[in-house]
Order: sequence, then structure tokens, then C-alpha cells
Amino acid sequence: MERRSSFVSLKNIGKRYGQGPWVLDDLSCEIDQGEFVSLIGPSGCGKSTLLKLIASLSPPSKGEIEIEGSPSEMAREHMAFIFQEATLLPWLNVWRNIEVPLRLKGLPQEERNQVSQKLLKLIRLEHVREHYPRQLSGGMKMRVSLARALALSPHILLMDEPFGALDEMTRNHLNEELLALREVEGWTAFFVTHSVAEAVFLSSRVLILGVGVAGVHEDIAINLPYPRSAETRESEQYQLLVREVSRKLRAVESL
Amino acid sequence: MSFYRKIGLPLITGLFLIGAWYGFVLWTNAPSWKFPLLHEVLMAGYRERTVLFEGALETLSGAFFGFSSAVGLGFCFSVMMAASVSFRRAFYPYVLALQMIPVIVLAPVCVLYFGTSVLSVTAIAFLISFFPIVANTTQGLISTDQNLVDLFKMCNASRIQEVALLRVPYALPHFLTGMRISATLAPIGAIAGEFYAGSAGGAGGLGFLAIVYNARSQVAELYATGFIACFCGFIFVSVVLVLNWWLLHKWHDSIERKDL
Repeated sequence: MERRSSFVSLKNIGKRYGQGPWVLDDLSCEIDQGEFVSLIGPSGCGKSTLLKLIASLSPPSKGEIEIEGSPSEMAREHMAFIFQEATLLPWLNVWRNIEVPLRLKGLPQEERNQVSQKLLKLIRLEHVREHYPRQLSGGMKMRVSLARALALSPHILLMDEPFGALDEMTRNHLNEELLALREVEGWTAFFVTHSVAEAVFLSSRVLILGVGVAGVHEDIAINLPYPRSAETRESEQYQLLVREVSRKLRAVESL
Repeated sequence: MSFYRKIGLPLITGLFLIGAWYGFVLWTNAPSWKFPLLHEVLMAGYRERTVLFEGALETLSGAFFGFSSAVGLGFCFSVMMAASVSFRRAFYPYVLALQMIPVIVLAPVCVLYFGTSVLSVTAIAFLISFFPIVANTTQGLISTDQNLVDLFKMCNASRIQEVALLRVPYALPHFLTGMRISATLAPIGAIAGEFYAGSAGGAGGLGFLAIVYNARSQVAELYATGFIACFCGFIFVSVVLVLNWWLLHKWHDSIERKDL
């Protein structure tokens, strides 16, 4: 594969809504292919906004975003977004929900079946394929949402606090599953979270943003080897990193 | 326990009210033509069965045509209002205004234009049931969860896909709520229409019969007409409720789930 200088490139981005204050200002960042980047910071720091800008769900007020060498709106079909809530269509069963992106793309039924069958197996929910979303637990819904996001084999996965509403045990499990899927699929990920522990566990890189702070406040590399597992959380290196990130997060909060 | 609550309690209330009515009439010696007893009402209804049956059919057909055209046109109108903000801004105030016009003004105007026929009755039933459907459906269409809309955007969905596969199913429960309200209004609208449109060579609907019985001081027959009108309303609402259950029971939270 041709070596690119960077996979996602953010150049002096700024965002404000109307004449309001700058939610993001003068933010530049280069992300390599295959990185897992967590965005963390106090509420109002613009981390979710940044995700929407990358997804081109909303345009930046200034600056440029390039993905695989082209403007972000061109790259949309290689991206998938996972929201805070599972955002499943309540009138479709699990199976049909996973198919939605394939259906919108106009793929034939046969191909759709093949992909959703594979994904159901991947997220281990074959036994509830005919169930409707309201019959599922929060964790199951999120897994379906994840499978749907993976349906079109995206290059980039954008996740906006996807596990925020789940209990810690379910969240830890899903974190491990997410990394396992990444081993197979190899997408580049942007992950917004409030949890330092989660950010450190998942990421190869943690970006701390501040409220009213221009640019990326801290850019911390997480040098823990992949694949990571439940044992990783017990390692001293992991705990040191959690402590370091927490300290830096507190520093940006007190600014 | 649940049988007692569902069937028993309303039955007891009904029996109590009938008993109170009998007690009042017999105790005060109230004139029976003015205060007909239940068995007299039933007998009057039986005596007039042919007229009442034909009247009910006439009313039901007027209400049905008015209601179904309101459902069809109301749905299309709502989709247009949801699709275009300009269209919504341009027309919604007038749909709202239409709802504010009292039926005693609407009805004579309809009769003036459509004559004393079932067409007038249909038009009045239509006008009265149009608004709840439009208001509710439009609300559902435009209040679709923003995250779901974003999801469709991320999939590069076309505008038509967004409306057909997302907004319309999302608005379905709202649409059915509108239908439920309209289903109670349509027969009332038809009867009010007949009140003005009169018999027009046909049998005359329940509204017309009410005028006739009232003029002849046949109060028991008037009561019987009321019961039949009530029954017609129930037919309408039941149909919509069945439709509602059939379309939503698998996935919507408004319908209790018994599994799991």
C-alpha cells in the first residue's frame, strides 16, 4: 500500500454556531492510518463537535479537513458514525437494522443477507436476529449499532460516547470486543468519552481538549501493546497512564 | 380480578345509572314522553328499526368517505409540509384556521355549494377530520430523531429514502393518533352535516332523523337515535384501534408487551 503522510489531517479548524463563541479554535492534528484516537475533555470543549466535523455532518467555520487526501464530504462513504444512543430504527428487527446502510446503498437482498449474517455472528447476537430493539438490553442495542456501523466496511469509525449509558461491566466487555473487532477490520477510530480509563484502554493516542483553549491541549501517546485484554487493566503501565491522563485532564479543567 | 375491573366495574356503573333514571322517573312521576325509560327507548328503536338502520348506513357512508379522504389527503399534505419548510409556512396557518371555523358555519356553506346530498355530508366530515390528521402526522414527520437523520446522512441517503424509510415510519404512531381523533369526529361531523343537509330524497341520515323526531316530540325515538349514533362512533374508533394494534404492536412502546 502506498504510504501516505497522514490519513486524517485537520488544519487550523475552527467552529462556532452563528455568532456564538468558538467551540473549537485553531485546531491542527495529523492522524495516521490504524490509529485509535480518543477525544477527552470537560463538557463544552467541543469533542463531539469535532467528531461531527470529521463526519461532515456539520461544516467547519474555518480550516480544512482532509481524509485520505480528499475533503471530508467526499470520504463520507468510508466513514461510519456511532451515536451516544444506539439509534436503532424501532420498527425494524435486529437483522433489518443491521442491513439499513446496505439497503440505502441499494445492494441486492442476497448480498445484504450475507453481510448481516456475518456481522450477527461477529457480535454474537444470532439468537436475537428477529427481535425488535425494545426487546434488547442496552448493551445488546449498542452491539447492534456497532454491527450496523461496520456493515459497509468503513475505513474510519467515529464514536460519540457510545458506551456512556452502560454499566461498567458491560462497558468493559464492549471495550474488549471493540478492540477484537479492530484487530480483524483494521479501521482508524475516533472515540469521544468522559472516562479516562476507557480512553487509555482503547487508544493508541489520547487528545485532551479544553473549554476556550485553542488547539489540542495535550496529545498523549498510549504505548501499551495491542492486543489488549482484561489483564491490561491490571498492569502497572496502564495504571500509570490513567493517572497521567487524569492529572492532565484536571489541569485543563482548572484553566 | 382483571375481568371484574374491565367488564364488571363499567357494568355496575351502567346499571346504577339506569336504576337511578328509573327511580327518578317513577318516584317524581315525571311525564314519560319527556323522560323515556330504557325499555321504552328500546321499543321505540325496534319500532323504527328500518328507518334507523337506513339512517345509520347513510351516516356511516358519509362519515366513511369524509374520513378516508381526510386520511389520504391529510397524509399527502403532511408529507409535503414536512418536505418543504416554505410550504409549511405558507399553508399551516390556514389549516389551523379551518379548524377554528365552527361547524354551524361550515355546514350551511357546504350545503350551498354541494346541495342537500351525501356529498355535502362527506365534505363536512372531511373538513372536520382533516386537521387532526395533518397536525399529528406533520408533527411526527418533523420531529424525527436528529441522530437518525444524521445516520441516514452518513449513509448518503437520498431525500426520498429519508422520507420513505425514516420519517414516514417514525411518524406512523403520530399518524394513527391523528386518525383516532378524527375517527371520533367524523361521525359527529356527518351527523351535524345531515342536520343542515336534510333528507335530500334519500332516507336521511341520523342527523336528519334527529330533527324529525325532535319536531314530533318523539323523545324515546330521539334517544334511540342517540344510541345508534354512539354505536356508529364506536365502530369507527374500533377499526382504527385494530389498525393501530396491527401496525404497532411488534415494536412501539405504546402497546404493552407481554413476552420477555
